Amino acid sequence: MKAKIFASIAVAITGAVLLYAVSDFPRFGDPRSPANAGVEGGSPSASLYYIENTYRDTKVPNLVTAILADYRGYDTMFETVVILTAGMSIFAILRVLRRDDAPGAPASAPDSSDHSIDGDHHRIIVATTCRIAAPLIQIFALYVVAHGHHSPGGGFQGGVMLGASFILLALSGSLRDTLVRFSEQQYLRLAFIGILIYAGFGFLPLWVGRNFLDYGALSGLLMTSGEEMARSHSMLGVEIGVAMTVMSIMFAIFANLSTRGRLHGGL
Amino acid sequence: MILTILSVILIVAGLVFFFGAAVGLMRFPDFYSRMHAAGKGDTLSTLLVISGFALYQIRGIHDLSHDWPVLLVVLKLLAIVVFIYLTSPTSTSALADAGWEDGIDPVIEPGRENHLEDDCRRKKTPTAQNPEPL
Repeated sequence: MKAKIFASIAVAITGAVLLYAVSDFPRFGDPRSPANAGVEGGSPSASLYYIENTYRDTKVPNLVTAILADYRGYDTMFETVVILTAGMSIFAILRVLRRDDAPGAPASAPDSSDHSIDGDHHRIIVATTCRIAAPLIQIFALYVVAHGHHSPGGGFQGGVMLGASFILLALSGSLRDTLVRFSEQQYLRLAFIGILIYAGFGFLPLWVGRNFLDYGALSGLLMTSGEEMARSHSMLGVEIGVAMTVMSIMFAIFANLSTRGRLHGGL
Repeated sequence: MILTILSVILIVAGLVFFFGAAVGLMRFPDFYSRMHAAGKGDTLSTLLVISGFALYQIRGIHDLSHDWPVLLVVLKLLAIVVFIYLTSPTSTSALADAGWEDGIDPVIEPGRENHLEDDCRRKKTPTAQNPEPL
């Protein structure tokens, strides 16, 4: 009860601060707001710069991906960290780490919560279709990750699809079978490896004396023809890291929420 | 020309089935018959309409070495057909199963024998969505 009161106070204060900040925003569609203005004080505004120079700078036709993963790389990196933090919070709050509840432990007692629908013959239709669909979903998700430069998509979207494919398997079959293929150890590891890949692409330019996340410096390392292609390729690497984190955290959140942190039984 | 006519016929047939599915969804008396109308009607009509689109695209292929992007579009459309053919009936089945599990009774015509109790092994729990049979 006390925790609920504290949580309500925290939510109310945060909401009030956010509402207060809204009053400082430019009006919606205001042509003179910094984001929309073509020329501001003699120098072109940020949006105009991106529209005119993104392709020249990075050889990436999709402006959104270029801004997200390159120009605003810091932002995206910490967005990924936010997702990781959310997953870790749910893990910390929900996960029950008792020896007899470990997912690898032999199931001595029949799973009371793992009730099947009216016998197994109804379930086999859904389970079979999902088993056929899951690999196709995953292939498409990889395409979305890798094709984020040229079409809508990227690490977040592809990662969500990858996570959803595992959630689909867990929903249609059983969480236990899915955890055999994608264990807790694996997804926690992948979540952190994803962040490390992103941060690694940030730290490598420091090695040659450039700024953090300045991908252009990697042209020698990636053996590209110029700095533009190095930025393009580094964006792909960064997106892969984002996809790994998002996929793992999606599945971790589902597995913990659906089983109240026990990782067996559940939906 | 023939391809155009064929594709138009397919698309119009698909629209007819879409209409039937929509009417069935609105008019049928209970969950299961509505499910049946929506699931079957939607699957078949989507199939017909997208096949019509694919035929319409094939029209544009004259020289395969030059027009292969069109073939790619056709293949993508056919892939959509295959996926919908797989997933739409499955989701209908899963929804009907969930309704059965939740204890929704089908509407039985008066005078007909109710066989439900015989092969019904579920635990029946009366709910708000479980009206008296007509």
